[in-house]
Amino acid sequence: MPDLTVSNIEKQLGSTQVLRGVSLELQPGEILALLGPSGSGKTTILRSVAGLERPDQGQITIRGKVVFDASRGFEIPAEKRDLGLVFQSYAVWPHRSVFENVAYGLRLRRVSDDEVRKRVGAVLERLGLGPFAERYAHQLSGGQQQRVALARAIVYNPPILLLDEPLSNLDAKLRDDARAWLRELIKQLGNSALYVTHDQTEALAIADRVLLLDRGRIQHEGTPEQIYGAPNTLFSAEFIGSNNRFEGTIAETSGERAVLSGNGWSLKGNLRERKAVGDKATGVARLERIRIAPNAAENCLSMHLSANLYLGERWEHLLVLGDLRLRVWGEKALPEGDYSVLIPADALWIF
Amino acid sequence: MKAPLRVAAILAVALIVFGPLGLIIYQSVLSEPFFSQTAKFSLEAYRFVLSDSGFHSAFGTSLIVSLGMTLIAVPLGSVLAFLLARTDLPGKSWLEPWLLVPIFLSPVVLAFGYVVAVGPVGFFSLWIKSFLGRIPWNLYSLAGLIVIAGLTHVPHVFLYVSSGLRSLDPSVEEAARVAGAGVWRIAATVSLPLVAPSILFSAALIFLLGFELFGLPLVLGDPAGLLVLTTYLYKLTNLLGTPSYHLMAVVALAVVALTFPLVYLQRRLLRTAGRFAVIGGKGQAVRPLPLHFMRWPALALVVLWLAVTVVLPLIGVGLRSIVSQWGEGIRLSEVLTLDHFRELQGHPNLVRGILNTLLIGGVGGALSVAFYTLVALSAHRWQSRWTSALDYLVMIPRALPGLIVGLAFLWLFLFFKPIAPLRTTLFSLWLAYTVVWLAYGLRLISASLLQVRPELEEAAQTIGASPRRVMRDVTLPLIRFGLIGSWLLVFMMFVREYSTGVYLLGPGTEVIGSLIVSLWGTGALDLISALSVIEVALVGLILMVALRLGVKLHA
Repeated sequence: MPDLTVSNIEKQLGSTQVLRGVSLELQPGEILALLGPSGSGKTTILRSVAGLERPDQGQITIRGKVVFDASRGFEIPAEKRDLGLVFQSYAVWPHRSVFENVAYGLRLRRVSDDEVRKRVGAVLERLGLGPFAERYAHQLSGGQQQRVALARAIVYNPPILLLDEPLSNLDAKLRDDARAWLRELIKQLGNSALYVTHDQTEALAIADRVLLLDRGRIQHEGTPEQIYGAPNTLFSAEFIGSNNRFEGTIAETSGERAVLSGNGWSLKGNLRERKAVGDKATGVARLERIRIAPNAAENCLSMHLSANLYLGERWEHLLVLGDLRLRVWGEKALPEGDYSVLIPADALWIF
Repeated sequence: MKAPLRVAAILAVALIVFGPLGLIIYQSVLSEPFFSQTAKFSLEAYRFVLSDSGFHSAFGTSLIVSLGMTLIAVPLGSVLAFLLARTDLPGKSWLEPWLLVPIFLSPVVLAFGYVVAVGPVGFFSLWIKSFLGRIPWNLYSLAGLIVIAGLTHVPHVFLYVSSGLRSLDPSVEEAARVAGAGVWRIAATVSLPLVAPSILFSAALIFLLGFELFGLPLVLGDPAGLLVLTTYLYKLTNLLGTPSYHLMAVVALAVVALTFPLVYLQRRLLRTAGRFAVIGGKGQAVRPLPLHFMRWPALALVVLWLAVTVVLPLIGVGLRSIVSQWGEGIRLSEVLTLDHFRELQGHPNLVRGILNTLLIGGVGGALSVAFYTLVALSAHRWQSRWTSALDYLVMIPRALPGLIVGLAFLWLFLFFKPIAPLRTTLFSLWLAYTVVWLAYGLRLISASLLQVRPELEEAAQTIGASPRRVMRDVTLPLIRFGLIGSWLLVFMMFVREYSTGVYLLGPGTEVIGSLIVSLWGTGALDLISALSVIEVALVGLILMVALRLGVKLHA
């Protein structure tokens, strides 16, 4: 039995349709990332699961128990759903100490004082907050506040942990460490977790499975490798990774393969959508899969180098052919001139 | 909070708002006071009032005064707001609280102070006369009334325009500076035009307040025979020998017919104001615009306004309270006395009035804040028709001057026999005060509630706290400082209040403000001055505590 089942929820806010029929399942112990640009509805899904938002349509079930059913007008309020939620802004109560913030959920559950002290102490210790128990939010750094919010959400062992962009308010450097630490922690706790983020790297790194959302619909669902390596729509191909884009028309097709041709160029690639000869189409190729290859012959374009950009760990070259502009990574700066750029047919997805 | 409780709170507001208003409307269509056995339905009162030349001239005077004071207060208030919010005016931080002081002073006290300072035999007038041989102004005139009403209402404009200016993205001004504009040009072409909605809003507010003026025209207009709508209403009380309640009801409705559209207009303006605001990023550590050599003249303008509006009348009141008599040729050192304060002790009703003022301000203020909090919480994070109904409900008391609310509550306590015994207790007064300051109080509380980020409440909810516990454990503790501040502000307003108690004044319900109004009719200047000093001292004390605690003086 899945920990969480969301079936076909819809939500309208004012004149915008925020969710257009979203369904998902969360298996026990699984971390599921909801990834999408702002306005894609990911936070609305999370808040609907928490009970802070009421969808117009659909049904939500937590561990076999229906908590929301629009057709019956049935809704269990947020406080009775027994979930743990970590807010983007942490929402650490400024008028309570760290200890009292974390203890609150246990006190509501009428846990004895001794037990509260023990369990809060254990959680604080585990999250490295032991020395800060008596401090207040304004005496803590962003990273510490974020851990208080997490401690507060897990101390009463909720079956599902909901995380709303928990790392987005941290400094970039801190964020990389917190990512690894957070995944490790959730896996140790054994909770299932719904993780909302707009950061693709974060979603790919932390989740077992990723749901890619756009404008209230699920665009792609799969493991991080599937999401990155085999996108099934133009949106999912372009939302993730660094990409080159080829606008053209289909010149010929044979099975999975097709030839895309534009103004002064023509390339073989893999069809990811049904297309016929003469259709307008867009090719997408990840930056790391194309390169400058002087001796290659197949699927090469001869292009003019117009700029070198130094990115620290590598160089990025900007190459031009008519109105086609490509970014290619390399190891050193290149002198001005014409270069042959290799775009392997498997690296070019045509939509 | 559960929905039934929320609805109950909103219904309670509806009751105390519509009860008095309904009674006024009912009374206006009767031929006689409602308690008379022979009273029957009649439009006679409307015919009488609408054809009365006294009413016509009072209406005209009200209109002129309102317009005139708007034309004075709005430009002056806007300039002061720009100087204090945007420039490097010297001494800004200590000037600002002083700028708001007139809001907390009773207009009767101010008016009385002006009479003593710049009236025909005022100490300042006589001093000027000793140079010029004559007094170049006449306080008891339409012009005098308009100028003083205009000057004392500058703070209202200042408040709204400066808060508009503070939410303006400073980079729009910096862009003008970089392009080569000087500070006055920036004010005239960038800053003030961008806060035009705030300026317009404050203009509508001042125009509205003009129709509700009572203390100033009572003291300054009366000697010249000038009546405005409120003082006309006040005089009507004894016009025909018998209680002329039906006529008063018609005049009261005439005032409401003027003020209500203005309140509605303000509401519309406020909405557009929000839409037009250019809200900036951080808004902090912005360098103020340099005034250069204009710093000192600008400071002189602010100080001059303060001197005329606050210092002059207060010195007048203070001086009058410690001299036995005043007039031409009297030497100050010969007439100094503390007798007036001693004399107060011989009047039990005045002593009771001082105690009652403290009681209704301190205890009553706290109870009102508790009630406002209950109402504000019942609309808090609740999307419902009830909350928008509350929005409209609150507009009604804003359109009702205190004088009229007091009158309506007097009638209400006479009309409903079960609550009649409460009329002679402070409860009747407290209820009327609570209605008069409803919009103000709710604004203070909602401003605090607005500071509570929704996640703080949602966090408690997801952890398992019921709505009531969320309120008890999170919302209320987070706004407790705002509640204390609101209480202090309401305390001051209740101490300062004078017009609401005028009709409810009786043994047991005396308060300083309404006592001053009734003493004014008897000409007991000694007692008035002593009472005024006590009132100003009380307000000053609370103001100091509030400033010490860092309370923001406006919502």
